[in-house]
Amino acid sequence: MEFAQQLVNGLTLGSLYALIAVGYTVVYGIIQLINFAHGEIFMIGAFGALSTWLLFFDGQTSIWVLPVMIVGAVACSVLVAVLMERIAYRPLRKAPRLAPLITAIGISVFLQELVRIGYNDPTLFLSDWNPFGFPSAAQKVPFPQIDHISNEFWNVGGVIIQRSTVFTIGALLICAAGLFYFVSRTKTGRAMQAVSQDPDTARLMGINVDRIIVVAFVIGATLAAIAGVAQGLQVTNINFKMGFLAGLKAFTAAVLGGIGNVWGAVLGGLTLGLVEAMAVGFIPGTFGGSPWKDVWAFAILIIVLVFRPQGLLGAKVVDRA
Amino acid sequence: MSTSTLSERRDDVLHALREKYGPLAPFLAIAGGAVLVVSGLLSWSHIDRVLQNISVRFWPAGIQIYAMVLGVVALVLGVLLLRKTPWLDPGRGLRATGTAAVVFVAMALLAIGVTTDGLINANEGGWVALVGAVLVVAAGYLTAPVDLDVHAWPRLSSTLEIVIIVVALAALLFLTAYTLDMDDSWTFFLLILTILGVVVALLTAGFGEYIGFIGQNNRRPLVLAAFLVAFLFPFTQGGSSANMSIAVQILIFAATALGLNIVVGLAGLLDLGYIAFLGTGAYVGAMLSNSAFATVGWKPPFFVVMLCGMVVASIFGLVIGSPTLRVSGDYLAIVTLGFGEIFRLAMFNLDGNTGPDLTNGPNGIPGIPDLNFFGFDFGETHTLAGVPLGRFSNYYFLLLLLIGVVILVFARLNDSRIGRGWVAIREDERAAEAMGVNVFGLKLLAFAVGASLAGLAGTIKAHQDTSVTPDQYIFLESAFLLAAVVLGGMGTVAGVLVGATILKLLPEKLREVNEYRLMAFGLLLVLMMRFRPEGLVPSKRRQLEFHEEDEHLVDLAQTEHLEEAK
Amino acid sequence: MTVTETENQGHHVGDKVVLEASDVTMRFGGLTAVDTVSMQVREGEIVGLIGPNGAGKTTFFNCLTGLYIPTEGRVTLNGAQLPPKPLKVVRAGMARTFQNIRLFANMTALENVMVGRYCRTSSMALTSILRGPKFRREEKATRARAQELLEYVGLGRSTEVLARNLPYGDQRRLEIARALATDPQLLLLDEPTAGMNPRETEETMQLIFKIRESGLAVVVIEHDMRFIFTLCDRVLCLVRGSVLVEGTPAEVQSDPRVIEAYIGGDDTDEDEDEEEHA
Repeated sequence: MEFAQQLVNGLTLGSLYALIAVGYTVVYGIIQLINFAHGEIFMIGAFGALSTWLLFFDGQTSIWVLPVMIVGAVACSVLVAVLMERIAYRPLRKAPRLAPLITAIGISVFLQELVRIGYNDPTLFLSDWNPFGFPSAAQKVPFPQIDHISNEFWNVGGVIIQRSTVFTIGALLICAAGLFYFVSRTKTGRAMQAVSQDPDTARLMGINVDRIIVVAFVIGATLAAIAGVAQGLQVTNINFKMGFLAGLKAFTAAVLGGIGNVWGAVLGGLTLGLVEAMAVGFIPGTFGGSPWKDVWAFAILIIVLVFRPQGLLGAKVVDRA
Repeated sequence: MSTSTLSERRDDVLHALREKYGPLAPFLAIAGGAVLVVSGLLSWSHIDRVLQNISVRFWPAGIQIYAMVLGVVALVLGVLLLRKTPWLDPGRGLRATGTAAVVFVAMALLAIGVTTDGLINANEGGWVALVGAVLVVAAGYLTAPVDLDVHAWPRLSSTLEIVIIVVALAALLFLTAYTLDMDDSWTFFLLILTILGVVVALLTAGFGEYIGFIGQNNRRPLVLAAFLVAFLFPFTQGGSSANMSIAVQILIFAATALGLNIVVGLAGLLDLGYIAFLGTGAYVGAMLSNSAFATVGWKPPFFVVMLCGMVVASIFGLVIGSPTLRVSGDYLAIVTLGFGEIFRLAMFNLDGNTGPDLTNGPNGIPGIPDLNFFGFDFGETHTLAGVPLGRFSNYYFLLLLLIGVVILVFARLNDSRIGRGWVAIREDERAAEAMGVNVFGLKLLAFAVGASLAGLAGTIKAHQDTSVTPDQYIFLESAFLLAAVVLGGMGTVAGVLVGATILKLLPEKLREVNEYRLMAFGLLLVLMMRFRPEGLVPSKRRQLEFHEEDEHLVDLAQTEHLEEAK
Repeated sequence: MTVTETENQGHHVGDKVVLEASDVTMRFGGLTAVDTVSMQVREGEIVGLIGPNGAGKTTFFNCLTGLYIPTEGRVTLNGAQLPPKPLKVVRAGMARTFQNIRLFANMTALENVMVGRYCRTSSMALTSILRGPKFRREEKATRARAQELLEYVGLGRSTEVLARNLPYGDQRRLEIARALATDPQLLLLDEPTAGMNPRETEETMQLIFKIRESGLAVVVIEHDMRFIFTLCDRVLCLVRGSVLVEGTPAEVQSDPRVIEAYIGGDDTDEDEDEEEHA
């Protein structure tokens, strides 16, 4: 019973990681860039959904609000991701690899602070003017409750299955199917594969590489935004720091699956989620349980990077450094 | 696509303007400079409480003086432009001066507007200054860029060079004391803007490289004079502890950042969990201290504690460095980040409930007593040469000693067989290995040495802070350390000192914008990587690595090598 | 596979076997890049390694120097088996140059050679920080030896020039000086005259003779046949990963199979540069 419950928990967590991990892997697959700020895109997605709700549906709880919230979340995340690529990363394509990494840290800090300060004060510097009545993001912000999803669960033979869990896992399934269709059936998707194989040749074949890179960022941002909504529904509150740890774990998942490999990211996410849930549930003694769960997650991160950097399904490029 | 044609078109226009009005540039610069100087003599606001008192004519104060300084710089550059010195490019300097002056005047007007009821309260001075600033910018852009000829540097007698160094450092001491004395946030901000403007102007005009060259020729006097200046600093504070406490923070931060610079700047390995080593030292210092909350019964003398801090930290350094055998680049950075987080979480959890009791968990170890060396109590005020030197001054002197040791280690390792090995690894790891360089050993060594220096600093920090808690050692602190290295310049001592000072001093002084401190920090990292990835005071070699194609740089580095060899 | 005696050009080749590679095989997945290659090199001997592009010459070098771990076979230097670690190979006395020059571009010529001295010096961290007499002595000796080697290869006047600023031919010579700084008994040169003009090629040949005179054994990969046949005591021709012909320059030169391998060699697989980057 305990095992089945942890299995459900693990799959939920894993779906979340998988959704974010795709963003790391798609971008890495094309330009060998670890977009360290991707966790913040996830955070922006959650806040985008919340803002949409506050602006248009404040107080509403019916389920038709949810799709609009998702659209709002995706719009915010995509906008930030595209700006990030255009302004910060693109000029650094040929720079030593240290440069984009430090840039990513800078973006990460900047976005967190932007949300922390800017959220309840959208005018930022000028005054305390706050026409939308946004709550302060310095603490945890409650995420809207949605009918039929929040606080409802099924009890399957003693195993509690939250409705939000179903949403998260369902989101992963739908996104994975969509991604599969996009990569293998559409022209842009095939162009993307071409660029990831050999950007220079792809360019010679008339593929607009810059555009494909933007597409990669957009895909990652879309999935991360959906993950942000799922996380909000799951945990019922969000905060400006939520992207850091989630991003790191999702990165672990991406490496675990084999960075650059989209299906690896999904597999890695699910694996990591399950391992983490099982560790919380079954590691005995004082070093078990949730106080140490992040330590175990980081330990897995280190072990994977050191001993299996090519991941479960094999990475496109191991580590060119 | 459209941006490139746009910039091309801009270049064409600029080129045409230069053809036509280029000869006017020096006169424009001189006129602009003169206008700026005159503006300092005018009134900037009729309210006398704004930005100190800037309402009186012919009695310049505060920002009026800064405007005059910018004006003088523009005047000098304008005159140099007339004289056509081959090793200087006054045009670029004028561009920087002018831009700084425009921003400066705009900010000053903004300050007047914000702190009073609006720009109605601004007097003629600011507007006149704006005209002067625009003239200087115009002069800058009308001057075509020059290829600097570094072979034309004037050779001075070594006594004269040393005199220049001493005067420059004395000016630095005076300026530091003056800057720190500033309690008005806006004026402070404008002062910093002025200093930055002047420094950037001199650097871009080509003075920076020449000064660096002089410094290179007189390393020993330079270092001695710098230490003397640093030693004299507490005596300028007249017993006040406000600035000394900031200075102590800066020194601890700088010592740690220098340790990190061994790992990042010399060995070329990115460590995102470096704060853990400072934390290790601090926790060792706290646990072995006389604090009532110390969890270890053993109370050795502080020298032993320092040694313990170093040893434990360097063991952690070896552990964290061991993955370098298999991973490098981005992956290594993330591995170190993981270790850093594990350290913080472990310190948080080892409170007796979840794990053995070592650290008191989130509460940390408070009540750490002040250091006491042979009866010299660091907590008490001592008077030297009539100046009372308080608790912070005591720690300041100790930390100065520490920085000295760290710099010595840094510089001597850099200039040795080991330093050469590190450069070789940075340049081409596989070739280095094929030439018999012990790549893994040297990487581990960098981690161990860097970690032990941070551990050493940590033991002192524990006593200075009087308490140690896990939340002092979060990822953001590691990012700050890295930023100090990156901002200042990878692989140089001076760079890291500059970087550490900027990063610690600005937030302390700009209390009103403290809320936006981190946001500005994030932006700063992005901008640095975009426009000057090698930092403010880079090592020539590092600069070359970031700009493989820059012929001027190559030439410059070559000249310096030849000079050094002589 | 027998080793033919060499009387080429009257140079005395010692009896002592310096390098012995037996049945070295290197496979990448399904591709066998080096197939049971055996080679002996004696003291004072210059051995040439020729073969069309993609024949596996550089891969074989990489197997010898520990950059690749051979799938099968063993390599011994002075009778002791070499571990497949570049570091240990250098310490044991084998040094190499690279086909596509791999100097430390932002270091001066002198510094490059001083790096080569790394494995023959021993000052560690504490010595370097304390700067005792031993450190200063060693540093001085390192500098002097590096200077001497630069003069030896004819770069005595370019000691303070950054490696990236040196002319192409000088860069190749600097690589040789850097390799010599490790005090090798065996020097492996991977296309030492590629991109050189005839005069530079001639100088390089004289340099290699000079190196041999000092008692070192040399193995050279080269495409310039005239260069190889004038220089070497013995030549191995590698085709598709295995030794096709081995013998004196005269024997190899006149062997119809060699000529056929070169003329019909267009169908051999990809460029060897690719392997180096792998």
